[in-house]
Order: sequence, then structure tokens, then C-alpha cells
Amino acid sequence: MTLLRATGLTKRFAARGPLGVKAEFTAVDRVSFDVGPGETLAVVGESGSGKSTTARMIAKLMDPTEGSLEFDGEDVTRAKGAALARFRAGVQVVFQDPFSSLNPRHTVERILTAPLVYQGIAPNGSRRAHAKELMERVGLNPDHSLRYPAQFSGGQAQRIGIARALAVNPKLVICDEAVSALDVSVQAQVIELLRRLQRESGFSFVFIAHDLAVVRQIAHRVAVMSKGRIVELGDTAQVFGDPRDEYTRTLLAAVPRINPEWDRRRRERVQA
Amino acid sequence: MSDLLVVEDLTVTFPTARGPVDVVRSVSFTLGRDETLGIVGESGSGKSMTSLAVMGLLPKGARASGSVRLDGVELLGRPDRELRRLRGDRMSMIFQDPLSSLNPYYTVGLQIEEVYRAHRGGSGKDARKVAIAALQQVGLPDPERRVDYYPHQFSGGQRQRVMIAMALVCSPELLIADEPTTALDVTVQAQILGLLAGLRKDSGMGLVFITHDLAVISSIATRVLVMRQGEQVEYATAEQVFAEPRHDYTRMLLDSIPRIDDPLDEGVTA
Ligand SMILES: Nc1ncnc2c1ncn2[C@@H]1O[C@H](COP(=O)(O)OP(=O)(O)OP(=O)(O)O)[C@@H](O)[C@H]1O
Ligand SMILES: Nc1ncnc2c1ncn2[C@@H]1O[C@H](COP(=O)(O)OP(=O)(O)OP(=O)(O)O)[C@@H](O)[C@H]1O
Ligand SMILES: [Mg+2]
Ligand SMILES: [Mg+2]
Repeated sequence: MTLLRATGLTKRFAARGPLGVKAEFTAVDRVSFDVGPGETLAVVGESGSGKSTTARMIAKLMDPTEGSLEFDGEDVTRAKGAALARFRAGVQVVFQDPFSSLNPRHTVERILTAPLVYQGIAPNGSRRAHAKELMERVGLNPDHSLRYPAQFSGGQAQRIGIARALAVNPKLVICDEAVSALDVSVQAQVIELLRRLQRESGFSFVFIAHDLAVVRQIAHRVAVMSKGRIVELGDTAQVFGDPRDEYTRTLLAAVPRINPEWDRRRRERVQA
Repeated sequence: MSDLLVVEDLTVTFPTARGPVDVVRSVSFTLGRDETLGIVGESGSGKSMTSLAVMGLLPKGARASGSVRLDGVELLGRPDRELRRLRGDRMSMIFQDPLSSLNPYYTVGLQIEEVYRAHRGGSGKDARKVAIAALQQVGLPDPERRVDYYPHQFSGGQRQRVMIAMALVCSPELLIADEPTTALDVTVQAQILGLLAGLRKDSGMGLVFITHDLAVISSIATRVLVMRQGEQVEYATAEQVFAEPRHDYTRMLLDSIPRIDDPLDEGVTA
């Protein structure tokens, strides 16, 4: 069974070539994949390879130049009106730039309860209590519910975005580097939360990230992108343990590691 | 030769509805030329506020006390007009949120050229060449074409590299980089770390590098400052912090990093 199926998604942008001649730039080139219910698909790869553009297309924030998109058994490629509203209710996105996706003039409480208000869902209890509960879930101080986005640090703002996405019990959450600015302990906490919610409510994840160690921990399958294409797609264990593509191998080899000599000395002291 | 940057007893205070709150409390460190200080620590622990205080760029309402000296000269309390002359020239900063620190209405080329000409003068033609070279240096493909792109036409990691190019265009003596590589894939990240390490060695640039990625810190930093809830909990050489951490919080951090080579826990059912 599949929840989301992308077939041959392609995005071309108009670009100016040399001497101002019109040219086209293919940012995403015939990308196909599917995501099952309760599944986490990670998308990793080169900076500029088309990951965020793919995310925007599957979230229907941008139309593909070619290709089609199915969600919950329905072709939504050209969905409008009621069909689009249904799609929007089921799909949430958390973006790469936390501050730019939060309205600077709204308090966190308003930001967190707005999705419910749009969709006409009544929160359990008061709006304030609901916002505070969401803040607690992502490790934010609920006493700060009347603050504005600019009053938070980068990692805190990222968590506001995550809390907002979770507010409406979506079927699919698309996270575009949503945990990249979090310190390791908060990151672990947020990942644990996402996993628990996935177990409890069975939603699916498309998880774009550069941190391969995190991806290895949370993804069921991994797609590797380079220059607009998926160069490898497989089970997490296979992609990490037995990468087939040259680019995947280069990527895995470049993962930074803590100075092994220092790490060994620390572990020895811990044991002693 | 004096140290490049000396920060003593730095405290940053915000007025809030419930009275003043210190988000940075008595932080002290020194940075020599040719050194890299890595700052790590909890989200919200004051890493960005510490750097903004050094640059004289704290948000409205925030107050800094203590002392920040660049090459022996006190910066705290200096009029903004003077700080503006230093910023982008002798000291520059790569901000954590690249999108909100680039102007959406101008091409990135113009924005880099403007920084360059404000401090170095010269013709528009020269500045354009400098901008293209700066984009090339950070590994942006096709810089002659992309110099005329607007910020929204770049990917997240490309924008981050534009910010790095802009910060480096006047060859600063001090560079503060706040999570400069979080949006980059690991191969491009390695390239940027190599570039920064090269600038440190060849031109003696002092670097303050903020990241939550401890593996990156271990590869680039000579000294490490660990922060938590506005306070510095540990400040020592990188070797000391990684091999013989003294504080429980540092140990906890080192224990909780997901490592690419470690066995997986049962949480995942693939
Ligand atoms: N509006 C646009 N006009 C022209 N080109 C664009 C536009 N948006 C994106 N691009 C180009 O499309 C390519 C893919 O961008 P995208 O943001 O999808 O990359 P990404 O894989 O998310 O990279 P990163 O890891 O750096 O965030 C980039 O080369 C970018 O310059
Ligand atoms: N305008 C403000 N008013 C009150 N408190 C603020 C304001 N701006 C920031 N803060 C608080 O200051 C503290 C320090 O923020 P800072 O941005 O320095 O954290 P950080 O260590 O950089 O965190 P991160 O890793 O998440 O980027 C945070 O707890 C934040 O909530
Ligand atoms: Mg992206
Ligand atoms: Mg910060």
C-alpha cells in the first residue's frame, strides 16, 4: 500500500544563459518514489541537487513541469478546490529556514493554533492550553507562549515549526532539514518524539537531512540525490552498509568523525 | 603580539515582561591569530547572542556588559558608526539564518559588491570580478551566471555559501561563523572547512565557529567553549574537551551524539 506516489517528477526553471539568451535549468529530473503509511523515507544528497524543490512539489507548493503525484489513492497532480483542501489537511511541511516560515508579528500561541482554526477543528480545552501542550511536546518552555518568533534562538524557532506541523495530526509530514540546527540532546528528544508519534498515529515522513548518522537512525528507506536525480534508493541498511552508487560512497566517506584517538581515550576513562 | 580577540566577563541582558533576564552570563575567552575557537552547547544557551554582542549587533533592547577587545581595542560602548566600519572589513559574521540576512530584492552579486566597495572602494567592474571569485571560492557551480541570481533562486546550502562568500570578501582578521555548514552536504562541508582552515593558516584569520556538530568541532577547533543556559561550563583545548571532559554536561553531549559507525538501537524497524 502507498500513501504518496511520485512518478517522473520534473522541475525546470527559466534561467538566463550567456549573453542573456533564455535557457532552462533542470532542478529535478524525472524523480519517482513512493512512501507507505507509517514509513519514513529520507532524502539525502548534494547541496543544490533538488531535494527542497522535490519537497515543494510533493507538498503541492509548486507545480511540477512534468510528472504526477498520487496521495491516498487519488491523483492530486492538478487538484484544486475541495480536493486540494483535503490534501492540505493531510500534509504538513516543516521548512529549512525556521524564521522565514513563521509570521514575525504573531505570537507562538497564535502560530500554533492557526492551523486548527483554518481547518475548523476545535482544540481540546482552550487555545492557550493547547499551544502550551504542543510547546511542551517539543521541549519548549510553555511560559513563552506569548512571545514572538524573534525572541527565540534558531533551534527553538525550528521546534515551533515542528510543533505547528504536528498540531493537526497529519498523515504525511515533510521535514526539510527540520532538526539541523538542534543540539544533540534536543535533536535526540525531537527525533524520539517524532518516532513515538509515528508509532501512535502511524503517519508517514519524508525527511530531508544532511546528517547521515541521524538519517541512519530514523529512516526505513533512503533516497540519494545528485544533480536533480535519485542516484540510489534502497533500504537504510543496504544504502549505508552496501552502497551501490559512486556518489553515495563519496558521501558516506566524507561524514566527519570525532578524532578517533581522543574518542578512544575518553571511552577508556569512562570505563575505568 | 596581542591576542586578536579578548572577551571578558561578557553578560547580555534582555528586558522582559518579568524583569531583566541574562541570556549570557560572565563568559570569557581569548582567541589568538591563527586559532579556531569552537562554541558548542544547548539550543538557547546564548551562543548566537555571544557572537552578536562581539559584533555589536544585538537586537534592540538587549544590553551587553563586560569587555570585548579586538586587537586591544575595546568594542563595547563604541558608537555604531565606528563598529560599522569594522564590520565586513576587519571582522565579519556568518549568520545562522541565511535567508533573513540576505536582501530578497537584490541579486547576490550586488550585495557582495556593495560590501566590498563600502570598505575597499574601486570600480563596479572590479567589484563584480571580486564577487564572482568569492562565489567560486565557496564552490558554487557556475558563478558567472549565479552572480545575477536573487536569493530565492538558490538552494538552502547555496545561500549559506553566498553568506560565507560575503563574509570573506574583505579578508577579515576575525570571522565568527554561526552554524555555517548545517545546510551543506558532507562533501561540500568538508570543502568549506578546508577553505576556512586554509585562510586561518595562510592569512592568520582568527575563527569562532559555532556548531552543534561535535565531529566538525573536533576537526577544526583548537579550543572549545561549552555553553549551557547562558553560562560557560567548560573552556579548554579541543583535545582536553574531547579526550578528558571535566564537566558532566560535556560528557553527556559526547555520549549522546549519533555516530555513523555505531550499532543501531532497536528503535528502527526497517
Ligand atoms: N526559483 C528558482 N529559479 C531558478 N533556479 C532555482 C530556483 N529554485 C531553485 N533553483 C535551483 O534548483 C536547484 C535545486 O535547488 P534545491 O533547493 O531543490 O536544492 P537542495 O537539494 O534542497 O539543496 P540544499 O541541500 O542546498 O538545500 C539549485 O541549483 C537551485 O539554484
Ligand atoms: N528578544 C529576546 N527577548 C528575550 N529573550 C530572548 C530574545 N532573543 C533571544 N532570547 C533568548 O536568549 C537565549 C539565547 O539565545 P541564542 O540565540 O544566543 O541561543 P543559541 O545558543 O544560539 O541557540 P541555538 O543553538 O538554538 O541557535 C534563548 O533562550 C532565547 O530564547
Ligand atoms: Mg534544500
Ligand atoms: Mg543560535
